[in-house]
Amino acid sequence: MKELLLSLALFLHRSARYKATKTFIKTLLFDTNNPYKRYFDLTIIFLVVSSVIILIYEVKNPVPLWLDNYDIYVVSFIFAVEYLLRLWVHNDISKMLIKEYNDAKFLGSEFCFYAVLKEGLLAKLKYMLTPSAIVDLLAILPAYRPLRILRVFILFRVFKLLRYTKSINQFVDVLVNKKFELLTLLLLLLFIVLTSGIAIYILEAGINKNIDTLFDGIYWAIVTISTVGYGDISPVTSVGRAISILIIVSGIAMISFTTSVIVSAFSERLSELKEDRIIEQMNKSKSFMIICGYGQMTKMFFRQKRKNIEHYIIMDTDASRVKSAKKDGYIAIQENASSHKTLSRFDAKYCDITMLCLTSSDVENIYITLNAKSISRNIKVIARVNDPETIDKFKYAGANELLLPSLVANTMIYTAITQPTMYKAIHAILTGKSIANIDEIHVHTSHTMLGKEVKELAFTSNKLLFLGIERNGKFIFNPSQDMRIEAFDVLLIMGRKISLDYFKLQHEGDIQVEK
Amino acid sequence: MKNKIAIFGYGNHGKFIAKGLLEDGFDVTIIESEKHFFKDAKNDDFEKVILSDVTKDSELKKINLELFSQLVCVMDDEHLNVFLTLSLRSLFKDSYILSISGSLNVTQKLKMAGANKVIDLYEVSANKIYNILDKPIATRVLEDFVNNKSGIIFKEMIIPKNSFLDGIMAEDIDFSCHGVLLVGMIDKELGNSFTFVTAGISHKLDIGDTIVCLGEKKELEAFEELIKKEGNIDENCYYRGR
Repeated sequence: MKELLLSLALFLHRSARYKATKTFIKTLLFDTNNPYKRYFDLTIIFLVVSSVIILIYEVKNPVPLWLDNYDIYVVSFIFAVEYLLRLWVHNDISKMLIKEYNDAKFLGSEFCFYAVLKEGLLAKLKYMLTPSAIVDLLAILPAYRPLRILRVFILFRVFKLLRYTKSINQFVDVLVNKKFELLTLLLLLLFIVLTSGIAIYILEAGINKNIDTLFDGIYWAIVTISTVGYGDISPVTSVGRAISILIIVSGIAMISFTTSVIVSAFSERLSELKEDRIIEQMNKSKSFMIICGYGQMTKMFFRQKRKNIEHYIIMDTDASRVKSAKKDGYIAIQENASSHKTLSRFDAKYCDITMLCLTSSDVENIYITLNAKSISRNIKVIARVNDPETIDKFKYAGANELLLPSLVANTMIYTAITQPTMYKAIHAILTGKSIANIDEIHVHTSHTMLGKEVKELAFTSNKLLFLGIERNGKFIFNPSQDMRIEAFDVLLIMGRKISLDYFKLQHEGDIQVEK
Repeated sequence: MKNKIAIFGYGNHGKFIAKGLLEDGFDVTIIESEKHFFKDAKNDDFEKVILSDVTKDSELKKINLELFSQLVCVMDDEHLNVFLTLSLRSLFKDSYILSISGSLNVTQKLKMAGANKVIDLYEVSANKIYNILDKPIATRVLEDFVNNKSGIIFKEMIIPKNSFLDGIMAEDIDFSCHGVLLVGMIDKELGNSFTFVTAGISHKLDIGDTIVCLGEKKELEAFEELIKKEGNIDENCYYRGR
């Protein structure tokens, strides 16, 4: 038996298909990046909603047999499969067995097969006892026909939906954080309910016709302490009424206390919850920008309004700056971008992230650059450099592009003094005025421009100025008229935006060029 | 007088600008109110360095600033810079004043104070971010042009008397066979605004117009000499594809 199970574990461990299947199921159930998860989730939601509708409908109307069968067999069957799959992917017993076996062989010690098996099974059992697993199990139960009472468990299917609502999880999270306070309150409540319930039973059973059993007493205590007060049971003796007074007063105190505990727990974590939401949205957008620091540079960046930046988040450590960013209508959070924990909340694996390090401190900017690059080399970093002497350090840190505001400004002043005419031209070019737009055309391998001579492209008649070609990292200025365009060339062309767009369109092959 | 420039402030920006101007043969005078910056300027071999309290009009009057073609306010202290711009404007009505600004509010204040041109420290840089995001290669190449890193620069030239360019339509000619590209021009007839060659407006070049070209420094200088000459249009070169 032991050998058989071990060889089975070995077989499974070696089977690539088994592993692939398990990984797929796991991502299907848990990983939001799995493209099929969406459909899976929608199916489950549909099943839940439909079975609840059937349950409500059948209270007063006869349900056709096929619908009943659908409810009992199809829905429950799928839920059962889902339950088993979740149980299956929860942990990997075969892997544990193989590891233990190898370790034992290596150390020459005895291989404790059953201990490992027990450990693995215990982990599964532990999973089965988690609230979500219990809900899953209860959602299958209504399939058992002989007990009609189990139909009520269909309502547990609704709880399955909780898996898909993040806010409930956050609510539970908040409550868990206040576990100590809430537990204390609960114990106190239990104590009061039990003592007063017992007291009323002892004092009024037999006298009060409504109090017959201990359960009646406790029921009365709960109805009273919660300030619901149905009035179906009420004390008739003076002592009973005195107990009522006590229980009502303490009930009010307890309710207000509980409310305040929960409210304070929420307000404590409100900003954090909001941040989580923002970051989650960013990760969903797949391509976004993280802007570090809300100073002059960032303000100027947004003011330019060159194009609509849809997905971005501003991070600043300073609360007042974050506040002013929010006031200006931008999405901002108070976080430290140089902390590994903060940046690793962003999904660098699946998203296209651009970091703008725009704080006024070079030390900070370098640190943020390093931090971003240590999380993923794929994060594109554009860093502001204040002191030109630190340029090398930024390059070592891995910044993709550098910005030197003071150098740029100095060059502009210098140009403005020495060549005032050109200043206007350069300023227009650098600030991307539409008339002086400089654009690049990347020639791909199936581009219609490929192999053509420069003169064939007729830049002048298209009212464009051809500046040159970037080829293999080198810029060829003003190439000769008979130079041929090669694949992966980047053509730099200046002109009005409409001329450029039209030119690009022509050479994408959509419009025939008139000769 | 043409190349006489007064620079107020020898801090972060002043240093860079003053040195560049000196190299290009401008007559630079540095005015500083801080002693250590004054010493720096002296140590950097500037001949005309004046230590003066720029907040006092009497001190400013002593410098004969009306003799300068441009007054450049690049003090490190923003408040002082605005105050200085205001003082200069009130004292010298006709001077050309250029100021640097570190924030949007200051830009506005400087303009109100009467600066002819205000250069915002962050405006061009902020735009550069957009450029990097959209067209990284074009941005790098352009940056190299402007900072003279690749050897290719912008240059403006005035069409001299008797030049063969006089009377020619700008859209008909092609300078690329001389290794330079015509980027744009200032036409005296159309006011003093700059027009890009790509704007699609027909332009007749006249004597006194300024043209802005892009090219290697050597080629640009050769071309500047060339346009001084009278002569005929080189048929192979000037008319592109016609």
